[in-house]
Amino acid sequence: MTPIAIIFLAIGIPGLGLLAYIMIRGSTGLRRYILTRIGLTLPMIFILATLVFFIMHILPGDPVRSALGPKGTPEQIENMRETLGLNEPLIVQYGVFLKNILTLNFGTSMVGGHRPIIDEMSERFPATLELVIPASILALLIGVLGGTFAASRRKSASDYSLRIYSVIIYSLPIFWFGLMLQLLFGLKLNWLPISGRIDPVLGANLQHVTNIYFVDSLIGFNWEALGSVLIHLVLPTATLGLILSGVFVRMTRINVIETLQADYIAAARARGIRERAVVYGHALKNAMIPVITLIGLQVAILLAGAVLTETIFSWPGMGGYLVQRISARDYTAVQSVITMFALMVAVISLTVDIIYSLLDPRVRY
Amino acid sequence: MKRKSFVYVTVFMLVALLLSACGVLNPSSKATIIIGVTDQISSLDPADAYATHDWELIRNTGRTLLRWNPGTSDLVPDLATDMPTISDDGLTYTVKMKSGVQFGDGLKLTAQMFAEQLNRLLTIGPSCPNDVADALAIPYLESVTATDDVTLVFKLKSAVAFFPQILATAPYTPAHPDTFPTDECVLFPEAPIYGVGPWFISQHTQNEQLVLEPNPYYKGDLKPQAGQIIIRYFTDPQTMALAVQNGEIDVAWRYLGPQLVSQLQSVKDVTVGAIDGGAIRYLIINHTMAPMDDPNVAKAVASLIDRNEISDTVYAGTASPLYSQNPPGFLGATEAFDTMYKAPNIDAAKSFLAASGYDESNPCVLDMWYPPEHYGAETGPWMEVIKKQLEVTGVFQVNLHAQEWATYVTALTGGESYAVGVLGWFFDYPDPSNYLDPFVFNGGMGTNVSLAAEGSTFGNPINDKANQLVDLLAKADVETDMAARKALYEQAQDAYADLVVTLPLFFLTEHVIYRPNIKGSTKYGSPATLNIGGNVEFSYSMLTKS
Repeated sequence: MTPIAIIFLAIGIPGLGLLAYIMIRGSTGLRRYILTRIGLTLPMIFILATLVFFIMHILPGDPVRSALGPKGTPEQIENMRETLGLNEPLIVQYGVFLKNILTLNFGTSMVGGHRPIIDEMSERFPATLELVIPASILALLIGVLGGTFAASRRKSASDYSLRIYSVIIYSLPIFWFGLMLQLLFGLKLNWLPISGRIDPVLGANLQHVTNIYFVDSLIGFNWEALGSVLIHLVLPTATLGLILSGVFVRMTRINVIETLQADYIAAARARGIRERAVVYGHALKNAMIPVITLIGLQVAILLAGAVLTETIFSWPGMGGYLVQRISARDYTAVQSVITMFALMVAVISLTVDIIYSLLDPRVRY
Repeated sequence: MKRKSFVYVTVFMLVALLLSACGVLNPSSKATIIIGVTDQISSLDPADAYATHDWELIRNTGRTLLRWNPGTSDLVPDLATDMPTISDDGLTYTVKMKSGVQFGDGLKLTAQMFAEQLNRLLTIGPSCPNDVADALAIPYLESVTATDDVTLVFKLKSAVAFFPQILATAPYTPAHPDTFPTDECVLFPEAPIYGVGPWFISQHTQNEQLVLEPNPYYKGDLKPQAGQIIIRYFTDPQTMALAVQNGEIDVAWRYLGPQLVSQLQSVKDVTVGAIDGGAIRYLIINHTMAPMDDPNVAKAVASLIDRNEISDTVYAGTASPLYSQNPPGFLGATEAFDTMYKAPNIDAAKSFLAASGYDESNPCVLDMWYPPEHYGAETGPWMEVIKKQLEVTGVFQVNLHAQEWATYVTALTGGESYAVGVLGWFFDYPDPSNYLDPFVFNGGMGTNVSLAAEGSTFGNPINDKANQLVDLLAKADVETDMAARKALYEQAQDAYADLVVTLPLFFLTEHVIYRPNIKGSTKYGSPATLNIGGNVEFSYSMLTKS
């Protein structure tokens, strides 16, 4: 079983189980809402995949000639076209593309070793997950705690500092910020590694099961490898997570401020509940609803940021893969990666919407 | 209390993990050398691989009958006991193999096994994706047979004097029969991958790293000095440059680019080794397309380009002027373009243009195309330099067009062809034939000095001069007497310059950057460049780490 299949099963089975539970135990309104959202997600992915397919084929530049370069003979060009199915009419190629997506096969790459896309994604996707999950956690931790803290001390020095932080950090170019962190912590202080996912020597002995090295080192009780994985995660995670935290700080702050003005908060205060409990226990919970929506919207930005972060830190994930293959006009790879990204965004948006509907029943109507 | 204990335990575990991680921040043991590259592996099958990095790995894990000594371009026997015996008609090469050669898993190599593996090139080679066979086997090789356990006989389709050079290329490496079956290309076999060379591939994580360990059965003279080599794959040269500075990698190899190399030259803890590279850059000229179908225009361009200015202003001196398509150090290399045109020579250029009716009131409009990234970000700046050099006459009006690689190469080679474009070249084997023939014979990759004809080797030369050039190169290809061959190439380069088949501009210096504890071997010529020689062979066996 490929690592990507293991990851899909690990996430998919509990997810589907939970969905089934909600569908069985939930109200009719909730069930209808979820079905409608799923019904809207599938055409969205289909339309996006179709657009990507035709845009890629309209663009000038031939993947075969690009791959073979000036040395390619007419026979070689013809052979490769035949092998890759590029001699078929466009509509037939489109049909094959859709079939490949539906069967999660994705076809074979058009450059390099013509490997199955699923194998290439299987190697790359876990690395991207390993980066975006801790980066999201970091962004949320800083964003939610910082935003709440700023709201609770409105118009104080801390509030102004956090507001300035959120604007500055969000407006920093990710490429520049990553490089600065590399230069400071990797080169000047020599505290942290600046590239890769694990020390090469330890990586050579790590058993690859999921290709998420954090999980693989845990499964193998390889503590030295785990330490190396964590320390290699620090700079890429900080780069991506800190940049994204800015928007969460602002969003959380605004929502907590609004919530703190609600009547039930005044009532809670009147009952003598400690301010910390009022803010973090009562206000934050309700203020989180719009923030949860924002998480769904930020997934696409997170993946776009991952493309740059992966390049800066030589992180072998999907982002770097996409950049490489766009320039080589590797139709199948680009279409597959974008479809995969769209699928991720859609599934997370769907999950967020379901959570939202559970937290706030009003959205179902 | 319970909550506090939990916090303490968690903090303790995190600190312990981070401390252990600090211990592994620079864990490179004495025996392990980490080499960074920005290349990617395209194939590890000798019957398919056709990229510089793939060949480097195949060579370090395999052996060929002949090889270039590390740090040099000297061709010497490796798996062969001696240089090949050549029949009088030049069509049969007989080679005696050393006995007792073994793969990394102990399997003994026989001549029959070797012949079977080499025949993969002829049988499945052309259907493999990277198709090295169509470049280095099919045009030359008729068959390979083993007459006994140690004798191989190569039958050629036609006599070629440079066949010994071809025998030393990576496709002529014996591959392990269990890993590389005779009926299938295996581009990315599962590790371990055994060859008969000094190393074997013990682990490979795609896009991240590849681990090489010494072949315990290797008996050649390139015995590994290190216990382990790890190749680390980078996507960004800037990150690789930082990694060699902070010690994450021991050696930064191809490619960093001139700007990063220039920065690293002033860094205290690393050494920058400069190697005469084989990569050249040139203008490709379509001789059947206006205005370059007029020989005077091509000669005027050749009279104007000042290569030193390009090297100094764009490459910080890391590129060397090139005055023949056959670079310095190769058999019979001359400076024909310098001798003939003495560029920059504005008066001569104006005379050539005037002879074709061009002057300030009727300038020659020249559209020049180039890919802005494929040959490095410096391409745009040096094309600007060329534009300025041509326009200084007032008789050229140059329009530069940047086009990303996929579109550019499609147009250049797909029939829409541009009058002038930019291309780069890197040799397959260090011989003048590999630098000159491809640009002249049968379409000449778009130069059209000899028009492409299906089934023809040489094509149809467009004029008498082109015919003479084709004739000289064809004779040189089969001439086995080195002095006579050298003379033929000298004449051919004059004819090439006269026709301005292509316009050679400069050749690039390769750079290897390494930490102070890394050394090359004094056994061969160039320890300061880690024994990477003019043919850009990197033998990992030469590396030591103190």
